[in-house]
Amino acid sequence: MSASSSRWRRFGAMLGQGSLFLVTSLSTFAVFFIFYFIAKDAIPFFQMEGFKEFFASTSWYPSGHPAEFGALSIFFGTAIVTFGAVVVAVPLGVSAAVCLSDVLPFSARQVVKPVIEVLAAIPSVAYGFFALVVLAPLLQEQGGTVLSLVSWLVLGPVLILAVFVFGDLIADRAPERFQRSVRWGSILLLGALGLVLMQSLSTTLSTIEITSGTNALNVSLILGIMALPTVVSVSEDALQATGRDLREGSYALGATRAETIVRTVIPASLSGILAAVILGVMRAVGETMVVWMASGNSARLPSPLYNVLQPVRTLTATIAGDMGEADHVTGSSRFHVLFAMALCLLLFSFIMNLVSEAIVRRSRKKLNT
Amino acid sequence: MNLKTRKLLDRSFSGMGLVAIAVMAMALVVILAPIIGKGAGAFIFRGTIEHRKVMFNCWNRGNPDQMAEEIAQTDAARQPIYELISTFEAELKEMARTDRKPYKQPLRDLKKAVAGLLGPTPGARTPVLMRQQYGATRKDRADIKLDEILYTEEWDYSNPDAMGVLVKTPRAEQFAGTSLEPLFRTLEKNIDAMLQTHLTFYWQFLIDTSKDSHIFGGIGPEVLGTLYLTLGAMLFAIPMGVIAAIYLCEYAKEGRVISFIRTCISTLAGVPSIVFGLFGLAFFLNTIHISDSKSVLAGSLTLALLVLPTVIRSSEEAILAVPRAYKEAAMSLGAGKWHTVLTVILPAALPGILTGVVISMGRAAGETAPIIFTAAVSVGRPLLPLQTLSQPTPALPWNIYNLCTEHEAVDEIRHVQFGMVFTLIAIVLLLNTVAIIMRARISKKLRG
Repeated sequence: MSASSSRWRRFGAMLGQGSLFLVTSLSTFAVFFIFYFIAKDAIPFFQMEGFKEFFASTSWYPSGHPAEFGALSIFFGTAIVTFGAVVVAVPLGVSAAVCLSDVLPFSARQVVKPVIEVLAAIPSVAYGFFALVVLAPLLQEQGGTVLSLVSWLVLGPVLILAVFVFGDLIADRAPERFQRSVRWGSILLLGALGLVLMQSLSTTLSTIEITSGTNALNVSLILGIMALPTVVSVSEDALQATGRDLREGSYALGATRAETIVRTVIPASLSGILAAVILGVMRAVGETMVVWMASGNSARLPSPLYNVLQPVRTLTATIAGDMGEADHVTGSSRFHVLFAMALCLLLFSFIMNLVSEAIVRRSRKKLNT
Repeated sequence: MNLKTRKLLDRSFSGMGLVAIAVMAMALVVILAPIIGKGAGAFIFRGTIEHRKVMFNCWNRGNPDQMAEEIAQTDAARQPIYELISTFEAELKEMARTDRKPYKQPLRDLKKAVAGLLGPTPGARTPVLMRQQYGATRKDRADIKLDEILYTEEWDYSNPDAMGVLVKTPRAEQFAGTSLEPLFRTLEKNIDAMLQTHLTFYWQFLIDTSKDSHIFGGIGPEVLGTLYLTLGAMLFAIPMGVIAAIYLCEYAKEGRVISFIRTCISTLAGVPSIVFGLFGLAFFLNTIHISDSKSVLAGSLTLALLVLPTVIRSSEEAILAVPRAYKEAAMSLGAGKWHTVLTVILPAALPGILTGVVISMGRAAGETAPIIFTAAVSVGRPLLPLQTLSQPTPALPWNIYNLCTEHEAVDEIRHVQFGMVFTLIAIVLLLNTVAIIMRARISKKLRG
């Protein structure tokens, strides 16, 4: 009697565990289903139109006769805004993370954390709205002034610092007696040189007229801000994971805090920071609303290629924007090309995800041994 | 290197970090300030008599006697304007044909501009479009409309190298020397009496339906749609996510299968949101035909998949944070594993799980891309709960996009756009604040 009841109980437990496992594996099914259903609608496109035009041509006329599906400029648009976002987010994000983990006291950290959380929580459509309604008109009307102001704000402090450091380095080479005068002389000389350079740069920038406020620069800025929280929190975790012993060893050798961080802590947590950058890239590549609203949606290569003041078009924005028109003709290559783009996005994020996981796993192993 | 320089470098290094954090905080302020500032303008603004007319006619708000009195007062104040126009029209009829001609188009423009400010001319046929049946409802709009009456605007492109320059000329010049000339001064002087602006608190903006594609009324259907979508998504995501977290923490033995499942969860977290949207379209709508058209149900399911990884991860964290002693105590009292999970671990982890759930709710409420193809329409009525199974709905994120890019009168309804963004951000931030407070409480409790 008791034996059979315990068997029933074990059977019940197994059944319960089985159903729990089933629910848990739902996310696995979801991933498979997503891959399957995106690929199912993407493959007909490649069967109909082939690979070459899609990846190598820049003429995107999906509604033309005959329709052309050259998505190279769209891939380029995604690449350039993502690169711009990385340029904005990585230096800012990593320095903020260093400051959070090594400079600020615990209580100040508690104040900064909610700021990051709120930045992460603001919906993408609100960022897009800001980019379209506030930032784009500002760039269009005051473009040159804004650019030169930003260049002063960013390069000014860097310049002052560089002048002092180089002045010092030069003075070190000079003979002992003249060191003082050489230092001040070179600082003055370098400072004057730097000022002239800055001035000419900012006058060139201030004459720039931005014809369209919805461009790659605008989108890159906003995407950079959106990717910041990810970069900050992931790289802060990585910096924290490098233990106190490394830091204290470096301090004991007489290094300053900056030297400790740059020469010891950051190299030790480089893989974690790399993972943070990858996650930031994924965020920027996959973002839809901001680029759809504020990138200008023009499927042409900018000329010259590095011109960020021209409108671009990205994969996500194309999917979102063209589906409305393509919806009615389900089955045409115009419908399937959007799935082909989604498949590219999906594969990219999948691979990036695997890479970042592998990096994190390897670094964890390294830190543990 | 000199010690002083090393010190300087050290200082500036710390300074760089602080600047980065300051930039982050500043970005937050710069982005939120205009949205909150102008968004509040959708709720609190200086409303004119035209606003009160809309409220009275469409929603029966306001005291009928007072309304009649105010309308009588403003009509009386407007009378001189219409009289000036009709006198001038009579004058025109007397004039020779050639003299009349140069005034024809300007007069038509002027009458249109006046109708934009004050609404249709009394006695004229009621226009079909609702936006033409009323004048400017807000003081800020009224100022712009008044400016349009007083000045004509033209773009000067005479310099081919530069961008066009806006040139404003007083409209009075067009009618110099005619009996219409005093109109402009009268209008400017008596504008307050004609419109009777009061400070208005229009909280019903949140619940009113919109009239004439958002030119009048509020954002009720959008708010309701967002609530349906968010609650629907959580309805699916919470059970699935919490159960998965329980299994992963308490039952799973680390091995190939589990690490594979974990990889899948993180892959799911990395899938771009627009791909979720396409998947929802291809699977829920085109393959299993969960509803005939886009529907709240399909949108909720898509959003549920999107937030599932977040729910799983935060629930896992919350469960792992429950002290081992709780579990061991329960086990030692003879409770089974399942019993322990249900009665000890889950209650202890509940606040942490809820924190993650609340944050995911914010995420689901703000996501746009997944609902474009699965749930959202630009114009629609508020849905009853049962209709959500088969019908699409307007939703805040989608309508923000729609109003500021595809609306035919984008500039006329800036306040509605800002109001919508403000509402959406308020919802999301409210949820996040709740989460932050809850987490602070938990960490206090865990610290003892």
